[in-house]
Amino acid sequence: MAGGKELTVITFRGIFQEVEEARGMYSDGYRDQSAVVALDGGDMKEMGVEAGHPVHLETASGDVVVAAKLSEEAHPGVAFMPASPWSAQLLSGEVGEDGFLELKMFTVRASSGGGRVTSIEEIEAVIRAP
Amino acid sequence: MAFCTGCSLLCDDIVVDLDGGKIGKTMNLCRKGHAHYSSISSGRLTPSVDGSEVGVEDAMMAAAEVLAGADNPLLFGWGGSTLEAQRAGVDLAKKLGGAIDDPSSYSQGLITEKIIAGDLPTCTLDDVRNFADVSIYWGDDPSSSHPRHMSRFSYFPRGEKRQRGYEEDREAIVIDVRKSPTAQIAADGFFKITPGGDGAFIEALVASLAGKIPKVEDKKRMLNLGTKLRKAKFGAIFTGQGLAHSLRGDLSGFVSLVGKLSEITRFSVIPTLGDYNTRGFNQTLFDETGHVNSVTFKDGVRHGQEFSIARLLDSCDAVMVVGSDPAAALPAAIAKKLAKAVTVAIGSHRNMTTDFAKVSVPMAVAGIEAGGSCLRTDGVRVEFDGLVGSDHLSDVDIIKRIMEAV
Ligand code: SF4
Repeated sequence: MAGGKELTVITFRGIFQEVEEARGMYSDGYRDQSAVVALDGGDMKEMGVEAGHPVHLETASGDVVVAAKLSEEAHPGVAFMPASPWSAQLLSGEVGEDGFLELKMFTVRASSGGGRVTSIEEIEAVIRAP
Repeated sequence: MAFCTGCSLLCDDIVVDLDGGKIGKTMNLCRKGHAHYSSISSGRLTPSVDGSEVGVEDAMMAAAEVLAGADNPLLFGWGGSTLEAQRAGVDLAKKLGGAIDDPSSYSQGLITEKIIAGDLPTCTLDDVRNFADVSIYWGDDPSSSHPRHMSRFSYFPRGEKRQRGYEEDREAIVIDVRKSPTAQIAADGFFKITPGGDGAFIEALVASLAGKIPKVEDKKRMLNLGTKLRKAKFGAIFTGQGLAHSLRGDLSGFVSLVGKLSEITRFSVIPTLGDYNTRGFNQTLFDETGHVNSVTFKDGVRHGQEFSIARLLDSCDAVMVVGSDPAAALPAAIAKKLAKAVTVAIGSHRNMTTDFAKVSVPMAVAGIEAGGSCLRTDGVRVEFDGLVGSDHLSDVDIIKRIMEAV
């Protein structure tokens, strides 16, 4: 992981995402509610990212492009992301000694740009790949 | 009245107009419940084998063939299944000598197990509505995940001993890493913690309850919280994924905090579980084996993290997923293993796991298209009938048919 800004990502579930998931996860609505990252205003400025613009998130496990969202609260160095197939691409599959998988918190390199938001079909293709 | 199986609150006050045998106007559903009801007409799973559509009987026979040919099958999911299907699933795992697990093995399973085993005190959500004056939401955001939690049970309603409602009679406390919609409702009752800071918060609260100076920045606020909890007549702690993941496998501090609170006053713990019948699966498996998840019936009954989906995908040779989508929720590296395993997926709707499956078997949506019973997130049993006719078989009929053919 080189370049970009290091952020701690915390995942959560939002009501609008829950609604869109019930409607079907292959919809634009589900992608719009899931493929987003809520960023601190200062972090956005530092990264040169504006609300709605693409952000490339990368970890040793994978990478995705999601849309930036400006948080109402200040939380420098921390980003919030809906738990979804997009955040799952960034999670380590390592099981801790306590048998726990880390699904709620991880560190990413975040940078402005990266093209359009990753589609769920692209995520499925990555998972299927040998 | 009808039920909603959109989440584990299993709301039982849903009014449904049946318009020519179809769902017409509904009342009392939340936004999520409404989407759940609407979903019966779109995105449904079709029976398939190796990507080709087949009849449902052929799909079930192909599923049986996959399972019968496996030495180490894993049966996973179950939170989105009725108690009857879960019971049949446990029987199928026994018959196959296979493993059985659910998503609680990577979320709130340990908390639920302590409640079922009697190591953590609990109560019903009806008790909360009638008696609770303090509701603590810990790493839990029911306003988003269980939208009627606060309005039906835990904060807004009036109850037997809570006649003055939330304005005067109830206090909401939220402990979370972000100002969630639930935290916004709690307003001054929101305690923001640093990511992974739950253990430190527990220590500070225990110190505060004991009248010691807590090791936190805002000592006065923590001491005030301790005083508030000491004065509570009936407290409830709702646990969410945030708490479970922060404490990981070590619940000792949390159990000891609840123990200390219980010495002072009445405090109960209720997990806010995701799928509508997660509690049912955990109870069903516990009644059979003494464990809520991660059990194998190969060579007797054994339990351990090595039988959880996260570990077992390395060694199992077939996976049957029922009413769940682990491929969407688990880290990509694990989803890859799932995609490569020979998979049978039984579900009501298409999802990532069904996309990767060799065999897909569609099922009816419980509570709308099929009847059954299940346990609410607080363990209360509910039974419901189907509301509308369906071409799809119920989950229990599918599992039993597969079991007959194995
Ligand atoms: S709170 Fe849950 S069970 Fe109640 S209507 Fe909403 S989705 Fe359905």
